[in-house]
Amino acid sequence: MSGRSGWMWVSFGLLCLLAVAVYFAAYYYNESASYKRLYERAAADLKRLTMPVNILIDYGNGTEVWYNDTLVPRESTVLRVTEIVAEVDYIIGEYGAFVTHINGVGGETNKYWIWYIWNSTENSWSWGPVACDRFILQEGDIIAWRYEQY
Amino acid sequence: MTAISVISSYAMIGIPNVSLMDLFVFISGYLMGFIPGVLVGVLTWLVYGTLNPLGFNLVILVATCLGESLYGFVGGLSARSGLGGDLSSARVRDKALWWVNLKFGIIGFFLTFVYDLFTNIVSGLTVGIPPFMAIIQGIPFAVAHEVSNFFFFFFGCSALVMSIKKILLKGGENL
Repeated sequence: MSGRSGWMWVSFGLLCLLAVAVYFAAYYYNESASYKRLYERAAADLKRLTMPVNILIDYGNGTEVWYNDTLVPRESTVLRVTEIVAEVDYIIGEYGAFVTHINGVGGETNKYWIWYIWNSTENSWSWGPVACDRFILQEGDIIAWRYEQY
Repeated sequence: MTAISVISSYAMIGIPNVSLMDLFVFISGYLMGFIPGVLVGVLTWLVYGTLNPLGFNLVILVATCLGESLYGFVGGLSARSGLGGDLSSARVRDKALWWVNLKFGIIGFFLTFVYDLFTNIVSGLTVGIPPFMAIIQGIPFAVAHEVSNFFFFFFGCSALVMSIKKILLKGGENL
């Protein structure tokens, strides 16, 4: 082979590799763009179907755990939201659900799990007006569960 | 050559876009000249494209006939330009033979690149897909086609040319 002809063929060979590389780059770029679109659509759907709420669980022994900006399905009840962030045991009574344990804590004599909702106009916690399975939360609501002695 | 080309295509129909058809069409052009090469390409697709379990489409058939004829045409052009030189005396251990094989492989790759580009664009336009999207969607098949053809041309071209030349010169019964 002559020197110039040899280099020409080597160049052609490298062009082959370049073509394959461009193919792979274009293909995977297109795939990533397509998955990004799918992700954005799913995220938009998720935003439309969910809402953020803040949940505080106060175990009554000095341990307080916040679950801020927790995404929950719209029109969720306090009970449903609590079940999303913790393991909850409850019994159904005459007035609705009564929580007995949260994350295994509960069942002590004269101590009960009580739920509160943050009243932003009065800047204070208010007692839950109804049973936790009957109160529908709104976007941005802040609720608290407290294990308290009575 | 058309018969071999068609038979090989049907035999490999289960492997998408991998076929020895292009190699046989190229060799036809290489051994017999431009016009027979082009005719083998067109005839092969007239049979394979019409009696095809994957379906028939006239526009795509015309595109594939045109695309395939390119292999035969460039095969003839390669022979006329002296590519491969005198392969009859080449041995497997000869570096020159592998250099020629590499050239055939590169030619096979580029021809397939052009063929895929052309047929993907035509197929895309036929079904109403923009050309760019047709090319992007066809990339996995194009890569399989081009890489497989590189290896088919690399390993098969000079070997088949030498074998067929021997048969033509000496007669199959004297080999």
